[in-house]
Amino acid sequence: MKNYDYSFHAFIQGIILIGFAMLILSLVLTGNIVYYIAPSMMPFIYFALVTFFILGIVQVFRSTKNDEEDSSCGCEHEHQISGPSWLKLIIYGIFILPVLFGFTLPDRSLDSSVAANRGIQFGGGSNPQAAEGNVNSATEAENGNTARAEAYLDDPEGYLDSIGASSEEEEEHYTMEEVYDEEWFDDYYQELAEEMLEKDTVLVTDENYLDMMTVLDLYLDEFIGNGIEITGFAYREPGFDPDQIVAARFAMTCCTADASVYGTMIEAAESGNVEDDTWIVAWGTIEKGHYKDQQIPVVTDAHIEEIDEPESPYVYPNF
Amino acid sequence: MSTSKGKIFGKDLLGLGLLFLFLILFLFSDQVSTSERMESIPNAWINVNTIFLSIVIEAIPFILLGVFVSALIQIYVSEDTIQRFLPKNAYAALFPAALLGAILPLCECAIVPVVRRLIKKGMPLHTGIVFLVAAPILNPVVFASTYFAFRNNPTILYSRMGLAFVLSIIIGAILYSIFRKQPDQLRNKANVSLASHHVHIEEDQSQKRSGKPGFLARVRDTVYHASDEFFMMGKYLILGAFIAALFQTFLDRSLLETIGTNTYTSTFVMMVFAYLLSLCSEADAFVAASFGSQFTDASLTGFLVYGPMLDLKNTFMLFAFFKARFVIAFMITVTFIVYFSVIILYGLIL
Repeated sequence: MKNYDYSFHAFIQGIILIGFAMLILSLVLTGNIVYYIAPSMMPFIYFALVTFFILGIVQVFRSTKNDEEDSSCGCEHEHQISGPSWLKLIIYGIFILPVLFGFTLPDRSLDSSVAANRGIQFGGGSNPQAAEGNVNSATEAENGNTARAEAYLDDPEGYLDSIGASSEEEEEHYTMEEVYDEEWFDDYYQELAEEMLEKDTVLVTDENYLDMMTVLDLYLDEFIGNGIEITGFAYREPGFDPDQIVAARFAMTCCTADASVYGTMIEAAESGNVEDDTWIVAWGTIEKGHYKDQQIPVVTDAHIEEIDEPESPYVYPNF
Repeated sequence: MSTSKGKIFGKDLLGLGLLFLFLILFLFSDQVSTSERMESIPNAWINVNTIFLSIVIEAIPFILLGVFVSALIQIYVSEDTIQRFLPKNAYAALFPAALLGAILPLCECAIVPVVRRLIKKGMPLHTGIVFLVAAPILNPVVFASTYFAFRNNPTILYSRMGLAFVLSIIIGAILYSIFRKQPDQLRNKANVSLASHHVHIEEDQSQKRSGKPGFLARVRDTVYHASDEFFMMGKYLILGAFIAALFQTFLDRSLLETIGTNTYTSTFVMMVFAYLLSLCSEADAFVAASFGSQFTDASLTGFLVYGPMLDLKNTFMLFAFFKARFVIAFMITVTFIVYFSVIILYGLIL
């Protein structure tokens, strides 16, 4: 490699690093970072922001020095961006494009087309068994446990055989037992359920969204007839009745790439007037319903109002 | 001389122009991004952009952390140190490597530069590989997120962690037996280690000039190194993130569900899916949990073990740093081992 122009490359790299820092700073300042990153990851983002500024400034200063020989690590050759000019252009292009995209393209939350693709979860996804309608209440499961314990006492070998015979069933029993072995897990949701049952209306907020989804799943029977207020963006699947609509939310753990979709079925006369992706708040009564062979909570006799997009379009797990 | 000066001037102008562009965009990004032309871009592409940027912005801090660790290793850890701490016997070294993976909380973005640096510093190839596949799963953050995502199904948590530990050792052993004769699988520049001693002559001179490398010089070198490595790694990350964003937006997930009805095919499908999504190992448990109702435990475990070991975005990085033949052997080994051990674990044992 002859005449590798260190100062030029250091300069361009410095500018690109500063560009990244400016993009992150701009997203943080405008608050649009919520469309990309969960709040719990923000310390890492601040770290990146500061680091990019430092690296960028150091890199620009480095470019003002003419001889590059004063690096003591002896590995400068491997760091050179090699190849013909067009390749260098592409490589720098790869770095510059995300910055340009970030500045120019509109910052928006994911929409119902992504929700359709990812598949919506009616109720708390942390409890797949309940989503299938297998667990109705804690008491029933306990009865199940005792029944099986008795079966075992009566005929240990026969019982074990019967378990081995249908491994699928065993798997389900296993998970069900685990649900109730995790006592704190049970307690936490039970307390939340009791707290909510005391009120006339279950208020589903951005903060308690995922927990309430799980509670409604686990204790649906006890909530039947209670009022509910819930917010989300409008979403429909093919085959919905004209009065059916879903108030959906994206739940994000770290970044938008891992967002999954939760939703609550709403039945309201004015559903037909609401376009997909409009943000709505719905008031109604909780009933038990079915969708695609799943038992799900349904908000009936609902009244819908269109609202602006909430401050935080995404919801986040509570831990 | 005058022409070269003119050239330098032109290049400076290019850089300044870029800086100016960034500044303009920084100040007026609101106006630009809400302008009509931008609003008229199809929603699907906005979704691609959102997912793309979210992966890039999310991964960058961890790449930077990895790059700093790598820079610190480059400057502070000598080759002798690594030789001294690893057992001489190749197979005996596998176990401590997996343990090391469990101690250091590095995710799959941060791990590649670190492993590459360790191998350059003389860590045997197969031990580096054990570290590469173990560290992204065996770490406290991943443990916690898997625990919360599957709090009603700890089997998945324990099989994920257990498999990661055991399989990393098996994968290391298999790759050792294949590449025992050719331990040098880093891309061409690995031979520089010999040549670099010549470079050090110049460096000695510079040290003479500035006296002994002081603390500041070391800090400066770390920073130089970090930004150089960021530009090495970053391009692969950005490319990988873009392709992953395309798949996330345009791959129809209902296709997966129709294929994924039995254990054998669904495990395979979920592994392919994990590869394409390129999720961070800290967050993938929640995505897996969202599949909970349609997929078997075995396939979810496949998803959770395979994804962090190998995915689209780190394949790009691997091809950049290792010889192609080695990367292909690595990918085949990891795929087979993870697939069959998940099938065996859930078919026979659980």
